[in-house]
Amino acid sequence: MQKLLLRIDRASTWVGQAVSWLIVLLTFLMTWEIFSRRFFDAPHAWVFDAQLQLYGTLFMMAGAYTLAKSGHVRGDVLYGFFSPRVQAGIDLTLYVFFFVPGVVALTYAGTIYAADAWRIREMSSVMVDGPPVYTFKTVIPVAGALILVQGLAEIARCVICLRDGAWPSRTEDVVEVDVDKLKRMVDVKDEDIQALDRFVVEQERDDGKGPRP
Amino acid sequence: MKIRKELWFGFILMAAIVIPTFVFLPAPWNMTSGQLGLLMLSLVVVAIMLGFPTAFTLMGMGVLFAFLAYRFQAPAPEAARQTLMLMVQRAYAVMTNDVLISIPLFVFMGYLVERAALIQKLFQSLHLAIGRIPGSLAVATLVTCAVFATATGIIGAVVTLMGLLAFPAMLRSRYDIRLSAGVITAGGCLGILIPPSVLLILYGATASVSVVQLYAGAFFPGLMLAGLYIGYVMIRAMLNPSLAPKPPPEEAEVKLPDWALRLRGGPRRLAIPALLDALRSGNTGIPRGRLLGQLGLASLPVSMVVVPLAVLFQVATTVEVVDTGGLTEIGVEVAAEPGGGGLAEPPGSALSEPPQEGVQEPPGAEKAAPAAEAPVVPVAAKDAAATPPSAGLASTRIPAPRWFWGLVALGAAILILNYVLFTVERFEIFKMLLGSFFPLSALILSVLGSIIFGWATPTEAAAMGAAGGMVLAAAYRRLTFQVVKESVFLTAKTTAMVCWLFVGSSIFAAAFALLGGQEIIEKWVLGLNMTPVQFMLLAQFIIFILGWPLEWTEIIVIFMPIFLPLLSHFNVDPLFFGLLVALNLQTAFLSPPVAMAAFYLKGVAPPHVSLNQIFAGMMPFMAIQLLALFLLYVFPDIGLWLPRVLYGG
Repeated sequence: MQKLLLRIDRASTWVGQAVSWLIVLLTFLMTWEIFSRRFFDAPHAWVFDAQLQLYGTLFMMAGAYTLAKSGHVRGDVLYGFFSPRVQAGIDLTLYVFFFVPGVVALTYAGTIYAADAWRIREMSSVMVDGPPVYTFKTVIPVAGALILVQGLAEIARCVICLRDGAWPSRTEDVVEVDVDKLKRMVDVKDEDIQALDRFVVEQERDDGKGPRP
Repeated sequence: MKIRKELWFGFILMAAIVIPTFVFLPAPWNMTSGQLGLLMLSLVVVAIMLGFPTAFTLMGMGVLFAFLAYRFQAPAPEAARQTLMLMVQRAYAVMTNDVLISIPLFVFMGYLVERAALIQKLFQSLHLAIGRIPGSLAVATLVTCAVFATATGIIGAVVTLMGLLAFPAMLRSRYDIRLSAGVITAGGCLGILIPPSVLLILYGATASVSVVQLYAGAFFPGLMLAGLYIGYVMIRAMLNPSLAPKPPPEEAEVKLPDWALRLRGGPRRLAIPALLDALRSGNTGIPRGRLLGQLGLASLPVSMVVVPLAVLFQVATTVEVVDTGGLTEIGVEVAAEPGGGGLAEPPGSALSEPPQEGVQEPPGAEKAAPAAEAPVVPVAAKDAAATPPSAGLASTRIPAPRWFWGLVALGAAILILNYVLFTVERFEIFKMLLGSFFPLSALILSVLGSIIFGWATPTEAAAMGAAGGMVLAAAYRRLTFQVVKESVFLTAKTTAMVCWLFVGSSIFAAAFALLGGQEIIEKWVLGLNMTPVQFMLLAQFIIFILGWPLEWTEIIVIFMPIFLPLLSHFNVDPLFFGLLVALNLQTAFLSPPVAMAAFYLKGVAPPHVSLNQIFAGMMPFMAIQLLALFLLYVFPDIGLWLPRVLYGG
């Protein structure tokens, strides 16, 4: 079971990381277009559609990846203080009541939507002979299906956690605030922080003696 | 025991929402659709507080309630079909939203800049540069935070890094723990207000307010808040020096490089005469090329004063053009003009070039400013300051306003003062700043400037910023494959988080509108017969309270759509409201228990620093935020002046 979960994680991660490179493409495409338009007076009309499609594909397809890494923002007033079992119970309930209906509906609606676009080979209407849109609309059902599979894996995790009382493991990934990496970056060691404690203790002792300014 | 207390806080908040819902609303089976909408709103707050990923809470709720709303008018199959259509259209609208597209670009820029590892140099050089003022370490921390947080926008990383760099420095100098903690946490959150910030993009997308105007509007309130923080720290340090003692002399010492020590006269000599002297005598053993290079660097402050003044001059004297013809023409206008009068000529010709460079290529823009022209301009400027402002100006231009010449005089005074104090040590500090502070400021200002002055759309500027971030990382030799890879992956995750949240919230908002919940709230608010002032106070108070349990993303995407339709009833400008909200949400970062800044700092602080001390340190800064909110409310021009000058109306 655990193996299957990790395999799903890896699949979501692989897709998400693959599409995340689109940001580099997007940066270069737009920079090139700005120069091309301002300095060489040669604008390209298709760039407008292309940049939106890059951005839309990027964030939709990265949704499952973000879910696999618990990257979606959650309200943290209570959650962090609950025991893992309570957390899993809440998550399980809300996955079943909110997540599954929402994502299933999105995927299903996306399939119809994309199928309609495919039927007429829909092109962008932002300008005359714009780039195809039907491929872009296909992103919705694909991203929805991916995130649904990842959600099912999360539901399985909740069940495991309810049984065992501890969250099953996840695959590692780069995180926004990696304290150890930041420590290395500015060359601060744990001993240095420990050594500082002296100053804190001194100050607290002094505070105890006299009235606080 | 302690955990209990925090749980209680959450439960009480939840009860405060649930109990009124049950008391005031009829039983679900005989509810009207509008009341169903209110039920949905209170349910969503409870579900968010329980801690489920907000994007999916919103999406799921939105689907269920949208179906119920359609069910009021149509049979089930038809209602289901409409719900599905609504959903996919909302999702597609977010995918093709040309405002939100700036988010991944700015986020990417932020991660790249963060990984360029400038912060250490930035902090040290700033600290040395302002070593003499009271509370210098704390002030340097605030400035570092403001610059770095603005460029990166990643609060967690900024607070953690400053917790590793500035916190130890302040503790070693025996700064008050609370003050030090407050400075770091409050400073680290400035990035969310000072543009380019993701919060303002999200607000702009939610409220259909132009991001350009929001950026122009948030610029001065952001600076004001930073200024108030700095003022507060300095005043406290002056009143009670034991809170922020002077750092030990060895920390304030500037290490001179080898060649500088060989200059005749040794330390504490004025840099420029010393360099010229060495150049003339030629027997110090320092290569001529190096001396000339250093002289060039030493003359940079001149262009740093002149270039911004030049940009200002263009803006101030071409107001007519701005109003009628649009902003993109400015550069062309000035360059093409023959220069009618004696006074207008020097600035015009010296300046038509630097602004363009300054905008398009972030780092090193100052370096590009031609040094040869530099000495001419201050003279002309000083003359100008002495003569009556309007005399001899080109007739096609409107004369520069009096405040401009005031600024010129100020700039000249600063330059003179600078060179009077420009010792070899100061020169070293200046070079350190040149390697840390100026590239970052140039990146931010060029991104902002090109947006605000209309040279680029926010999206284009974001793309240029991301490219600039890469250049910056490359310039500091940090642009490895590993760094790019990490930044790319983090960008994808952050973007997916924000944009999926937006998908969820726009489905939710649609359902809320369908149910007519909005009308009930509007009727209720209008029924209170409030004056606009009372309404604003209530709105800001609600946002302030929501900031305690919720994060800013949730407040913006869920609650702004509810407030925004009310604004027109009270004649409130959505732009102004957005600025107030952005300022108000600063408090959301410092209000326990969700104050993430405090937890990031706690994560790297020495073990004896307690969370309570950090919270206590943050409170004065929260009070300052409220003061800033009050100031902005009483003097709206702090925020609205710049958008008005630039875009009229």
